[in-house]
Amino acid sequence: MSLWVDKHRPKDLMKLDFHKDQALRLKNLVQQSDFPHLLVYGPSGAGKKTRIMCLLRELYGSGAERLRQETMHFTTPSNKKIEIMTVSSNYHIEVNPTDVGIHDRVVIMDLVKNVAQTHQIDSSGQREFKVVILNEVDDLTKDAQHALRRTMEKYVATCRLILIANSISRVIPAIRSRCLTIRVPAPTENEIATVLHTVCKKEGLSLPSELAMRIAKCADRNLRRALLMCEACKVQKYPFTSDQKVPEPDWQQFIREIASMILTEQSPKKLGEVRQKLYELIIHGIPPDMIFSGLLCELVRNCDMSMKCQVANHAAEYEHRMRLGNKPIFHLEAFVAKFMAIYKKFVEESLGDAF
Amino acid sequence: MQKGRKWFKPVFDIVENETPKESKNIPEKKQKVYEEKSLGSNGDANCKMPTINHKNWMKNFDPVNIEDLAVHNKKIQEVENWIKDSCKNTCNILLLSGPVGCGKTATVRTLAAKYNVKISEWITPIDIELPTDYGEYEFKEKQSKKFLDFIISAANFTSLLDNNSNKLVLIEDFPNTFLRTPSEFSNILQQYTQRAKSPIVFICSETNTDNKNAAVNIFTTSLKEQFLIQHIVFNSVSVTGLRSALKRVSDIISKKYSAMYNIPTTDIIDSVVNTSAGDVRSAILNLHFASLKGINHNLETSIVKESKVKGKTKKKKATNKFMSLGKDQTISILHGVGRVLNPKVLLDECGKANLSHPPEDIVEQFLSSPSTFINFLEENYLPHFSCINDVDKAVSTLSDADYILAEWREKYCQEYGLYIAVAGLMLANKSPVSAWNPVRGPKNMNVQYPSLQQMPLLDNSYLYKGKVLVTDYLTYCKIIGNKTGCEESLSNEDEIIE
Repeated sequence: MSLWVDKHRPKDLMKLDFHKDQALRLKNLVQQSDFPHLLVYGPSGAGKKTRIMCLLRELYGSGAERLRQETMHFTTPSNKKIEIMTVSSNYHIEVNPTDVGIHDRVVIMDLVKNVAQTHQIDSSGQREFKVVILNEVDDLTKDAQHALRRTMEKYVATCRLILIANSISRVIPAIRSRCLTIRVPAPTENEIATVLHTVCKKEGLSLPSELAMRIAKCADRNLRRALLMCEACKVQKYPFTSDQKVPEPDWQQFIREIASMILTEQSPKKLGEVRQKLYELIIHGIPPDMIFSGLLCELVRNCDMSMKCQVANHAAEYEHRMRLGNKPIFHLEAFVAKFMAIYKKFVEESLGDAF
Repeated sequence: MQKGRKWFKPVFDIVENETPKESKNIPEKKQKVYEEKSLGSNGDANCKMPTINHKNWMKNFDPVNIEDLAVHNKKIQEVENWIKDSCKNTCNILLLSGPVGCGKTATVRTLAAKYNVKISEWITPIDIELPTDYGEYEFKEKQSKKFLDFIISAANFTSLLDNNSNKLVLIEDFPNTFLRTPSEFSNILQQYTQRAKSPIVFICSETNTDNKNAAVNIFTTSLKEQFLIQHIVFNSVSVTGLRSALKRVSDIISKKYSAMYNIPTTDIIDSVVNTSAGDVRSAILNLHFASLKGINHNLETSIVKESKVKGKTKKKKATNKFMSLGKDQTISILHGVGRVLNPKVLLDECGKANLSHPPEDIVEQFLSSPSTFINFLEENYLPHFSCINDVDKAVSTLSDADYILAEWREKYCQEYGLYIAVAGLMLANKSPVSAWNPVRGPKNMNVQYPSLQQMPLLDNSYLYKGKVLVTDYLTYCKIIGNKTGCEESLSNEDEIIE
């Protein structure tokens, strides 16, 4: 059995549940047999990939749905062998170049070259180009992004690139200007609730609308997470009750624990313990920006207005540096230390007032 | 020495004549020099020459006996055993590695002299391509081919002019081609072990920062196992070893060369020992420079700087350092971390506080890449702080530093980043904790995303992003997967919900 989120993924542009006018535009775009490179961006769980797969189906017919998984091998200039997982059909190939870390440039160049040099076997009635889908383009190294820029121009005749990113702020302008950028905004809570209802209907379940709203709220406008939550709820308790517990991701609980640690004691020793916890999160692959925002949300709950402003100000500063720097832990730790210093001062002052 | 060279040259002359005819047009063939050095009599011959004008005056101080070597006795013993074992017509292979100037070559040469073994050393010829008169490039043998020819003929044929039968081939200068294609090297070793009848010694200098480290790149573990290569690692020379070696040099000076040199005082020897960081060769060079005559004595004292530590209880010795000669003083990572995290403040006459090691000195003396050093600092700074406000200041400078270091294309950014981190950490700590804190290495931050095998619920033909797997799928797949697994076995939902 597969997960609801995979099972009920819409396959046709016209059957998408939200942003319907955008879907229509995409359909029209493909109607004219050709399209430019695309840069699709939007928050996680907004349906970027779903839209792209629908687009491919529109373009190539159902052949684009026959997928196979394949491991490709590359050799870096320093003779290091790297391998990367790809998913491909006869018409497209999809890859996460960031899986190989700093060697992403090699993957991008070789992969695009390979694809671009092999022409379609039967070009009659087919499109003349293949499609390369690159995920997480905003996390590529600068080096890889520049390489991408060159390859984009060179092989434009035989392949089209579809780039997927969460935010285009870290995509270099040269790439942005070469692509048609399409923003896929996150669905509203109402839209998520509607999707949950339709999915439950298909599964033959009845979902109380209060629970649907609560799941939609918990999911942080992330449809993927909402569907997973809904399925987990179903597994935990069915028939649904409107006040049943909605399980939240374990890393969010973990962040909450860190926040309460910070609030209990403000000392270098405690900071050391917090750091170990942060390391753990990072090593498990939780993106640092999500750690950062989660931590900030938990911490400001315990602040008064003037402190909130101060903390948010510092958080913004460190988060910005984190995006530009190399080592996220430095900036996370700096933020925690800053918060500890502010909070300690606040506590001492309020104690001083009391006596 | 001249004679020793003669027997060998004609061999190659003949080879040269056999090469295709175009080569006759080129008289500059002599650029390739196969140098043959016979060592047995070297020391004595040089000792008779009382002038410094010898082309390599360092030879004056070459060790003659084993006792003269500054290397640790145990290492000498190891090499000696190997030489004794492999004297008799074997083709054993030995690899010596160690930092520069730790006496690898000297050990081999001295021991060879003791056992009357003749050493033939390969020196890579300089290849310069010059077109012939017709504008063509002459045919050249491959470097590896020449190398093989040399080592095999050196191993198998004895010179007519010396009658000792034991030979040893020494390779210190690796042809570049092996660095590029190490597989070629194993072919050559294969041929050597089949055809040669003398032991061969490879000497590799280790450099700590360089990735072109021959000992590691060429001599892989599999290669060592395949050819039963014995690997002896030398350490840099100890202070006592250096001191006795320099004593010996000063003895030689006082006996034979007092016309050229002032006899070095113990002060000078000490400071040379301090500056040379375990490198005998550079120590002797420095000593030579420091004690040459013609330098007036005032100057000499001016180059010796004494920095005394004033504390009465501290039994720290005053260290003399050459300020104008010797290697630049370098510090290891751990040493640097210690200096930054435990800043010592000295009060000068006016009551102004100064750091005993200013940040700019530490930054200058530092060799490894700034980001590594900052990672070390970040991992270790916390236990030294007692106040969260200080930590706040310190870590915000680290954050600044990381931000600046991210721009790796600007060289200045690297220096400034390092400076900001070092100075920030040193100045931020107003109330340091003095306790023993072991230095820890930075954490390996390799992210390990879960594999698809761990989550059987996922669709096989869909490409999941690692981030998304961790943030969304992992928790819920556990809940859903557990439940479905249980359902099959128990088929009773209500019991498990608790």
